Amino acid sequence: MESRLLRVDLTTGEMRDELLPHALFERWIGGSGVNNWIMWEHFLTHDIDCDPRGPDNIFVFGVGPLAGTGAGSGVKGRITFKSPCYGIFGDSAAGGKFPYMVRFAGYDHIAITGKAPAPVYLYICDGNAVICDARHLWGKNSAETHEMLRHELGDYPSAAHTLTIGLAGENQAGIASVVSDASRIHARGGGGAVLGSKNLKAIAVQGSGGIKIHNPPGLLKWSDGFRQKIDSNEAIYGFKRRGTLGAVEMYQHIGGHFWRNNQGCLFRGEEVRSDNWVKKYHKYSEVCSADCFIACDGRYKIDGTESEKSKKYAGETFRRPEYLTTASAAGALDVRDWSEVAHWGKVTNDYGIDNQDLSCAISFVMELKQKNLISAHDVAELFGKQQRLEWGNMEDIEALLRNVSLRDNLFGQLFHDGPYWGALRYSEMKGQNFMKYAIYGKGGAAFTEEMRPFPTWMNNMAVASRGADHLKGIGLIEKFQRRDLSKRYFNGRTEAADLSIPDLKGASTALLENQVALINSYGVCLFHWMLDPAGFAPEEYYGPAYANITGISRTPQELMQNGERICNLEKAFNSRLGLRREHDTICERWMHEPTTEGMYPGKVAADMFETVLDEYYEWRGWDKTTGLQTQSKLTELGMGDVAEVLAADGALARA
Amino acid sequence: MITVHTQYQARFREITRIAGESFELAAPLVAELATAIANKYGPQMESLLIDRKTNELNASGTMYLDSKGRRIYMEDTLADGETIAFLVGIAGG
Repeated sequence: MESRLLRVDLTTGEMRDELLPHALFERWIGGSGVNNWIMWEHFLTHDIDCDPRGPDNIFVFGVGPLAGTGAGSGVKGRITFKSPCYGIFGDSAAGGKFPYMVRFAGYDHIAITGKAPAPVYLYICDGNAVICDARHLWGKNSAETHEMLRHELGDYPSAAHTLTIGLAGENQAGIASVVSDASRIHARGGGGAVLGSKNLKAIAVQGSGGIKIHNPPGLLKWSDGFRQKIDSNEAIYGFKRRGTLGAVEMYQHIGGHFWRNNQGCLFRGEEVRSDNWVKKYHKYSEVCSADCFIACDGRYKIDGTESEKSKKYAGETFRRPEYLTTASAAGALDVRDWSEVAHWGKVTNDYGIDNQDLSCAISFVMELKQKNLISAHDVAELFGKQQRLEWGNMEDIEALLRNVSLRDNLFGQLFHDGPYWGALRYSEMKGQNFMKYAIYGKGGAAFTEEMRPFPTWMNNMAVASRGADHLKGIGLIEKFQRRDLSKRYFNGRTEAADLSIPDLKGASTALLENQVALINSYGVCLFHWMLDPAGFAPEEYYGPAYANITGISRTPQELMQNGERICNLEKAFNSRLGLRREHDTICERWMHEPTTEGMYPGKVAADMFETVLDEYYEWRGWDKTTGLQTQSKLTELGMGDVAEVLAADGALARA
Repeated sequence: MITVHTQYQARFREITRIAGESFELAAPLVAELATAIANKYGPQMESLLIDRKTNELNASGTMYLDSKGRRIYMEDTLADGETIAFLVGIAGG
């Protein structure tokens, strides 16, 4: 495996190439696994308690060995950093063409430290890198920045592909995101604020190189089998048309949405809860990266004739929103017109901000207003003027989006790190406890789905390394009640698929976290595995592709151990920051307020939460009392060096 | 004979072109219902619904729930008047 890392120090302007050793990939696979290790090593020589918005924080971009090779379908790039909004481990993925263009330009990983004295962008072209003046880009949104860079750099040796920040990143809003090619977003954790704090407006790449493959004929054979496997799946045809929005009707059926700050779990809007938007707005499906066989992505266009409200957005065209973008508007904020839901996706992308955190922050204050817990005086204090705070009022919602992005009033200053920190700061400021209305897990905003009926999901929200998270554990054995998967992974036992009992739910979290870590380190999209978790098991199905590309052969058991190792490093990072069992928790509403509608009414997380958490630690081999890792588990995983660091920091469980 | 109602979403609705219907079944089994639906709508539906390697309901990207929100399997029995929803099994984004 040949792989290059570009190190950039923005304070000094120094840049250097490093050839990453083969052994690094044997240990960490690639992609997110290698990103994590680069960050871990960085904080062995820099203060891990540093200000995430300071020059000592590191921003790592990485792409896995399978990306851009035609192995697997759909590419994911990953950014890794200490999170400015949550203060813990932070990372986020996005698809599109930028990730593999970085490989074509000669690198697999980019590590950025320091702070430029003035706005700059990093330009990489076929193995050469240069830091360029970006003062003319400062103040532009993510789409404008992308277009300006494309125009500026031209089409040789390839069209330019970009990572950019919008106004939220420039203003270091904690929940600011990094936008890939103007339309795909590394949303979670505040990577945009890290780039903003470094005065780095963008990274632009152009590449015409190739990717060295260990065994090209073997890879071609594997890829052909992959394509045939995808093509023979009849369900794929539905996903070509709807993508993840296929989940809207399913969640409306079971009660899986997140409505008005999770006061309910069903969409109310007639249009947004149905499938009618497909006929009205969908224009065509498209692939997000050149080697995707599914094309779950799509474009919408608003003609302005679809509804009264659509007139305002006539002519607007953008990526069709994913399910969670839709849920954050149609659910969390109760927006009922689909043109407004689509616009929400575009405008949060343009500002470069995480619409999950943002919708949970806005719906928090909307609920306070709805319940008369804040007065007109309080509202004027928060916003500098009267603000209606009406559910579903997109005009108001967009104003609040701007406030958080620019941090231009008290609301923006309090809530730019998301709902947890916003609610905490506001409670302290008012001397009143509003925390029961903040929806979060481990300080991270909820992802906007109803999760109380699903004990594995509730466990995921508490233990995920980057705070409440649907993309670290993915409780799909339980959510889709897959007895076959439960039997396969737990010696014939079926309990993991049974929603009504706590058994094997913590075990499922550990298993699924390991599998997801593996996929993220390969650098491929999770979608195939989510569609068919048995058919595309990452430890089995993708193993031969990884071997054909890298020359590193691994048994499924060894690959699962790689996944486990990657999860343990993320955990170790947070342990060094002082996180313990008490931080693996979720908000009061999820814990104690029962669901009132949908197929699973009366559910609260508290019924099973501690039992599941205990089981999770047991399956992880961690100490149940403190939540800390043990010497024996880390030794088993070949992580004795990590254990030494933890022991020195007092962050290793006592024997 | 029992009567079982169906609700179709997404790809199932695209193939059937209806939101739902009712079936009269001689045996109160999920397998009987799946066969009836596959026979009525042809090979596309059969491929979507049934995994012929295992003769189980096809689980890749699809989900089948009874009126209490429990996933059904081929060997399960059905009560008279039960409603089965044919859904996509996808989340996130």
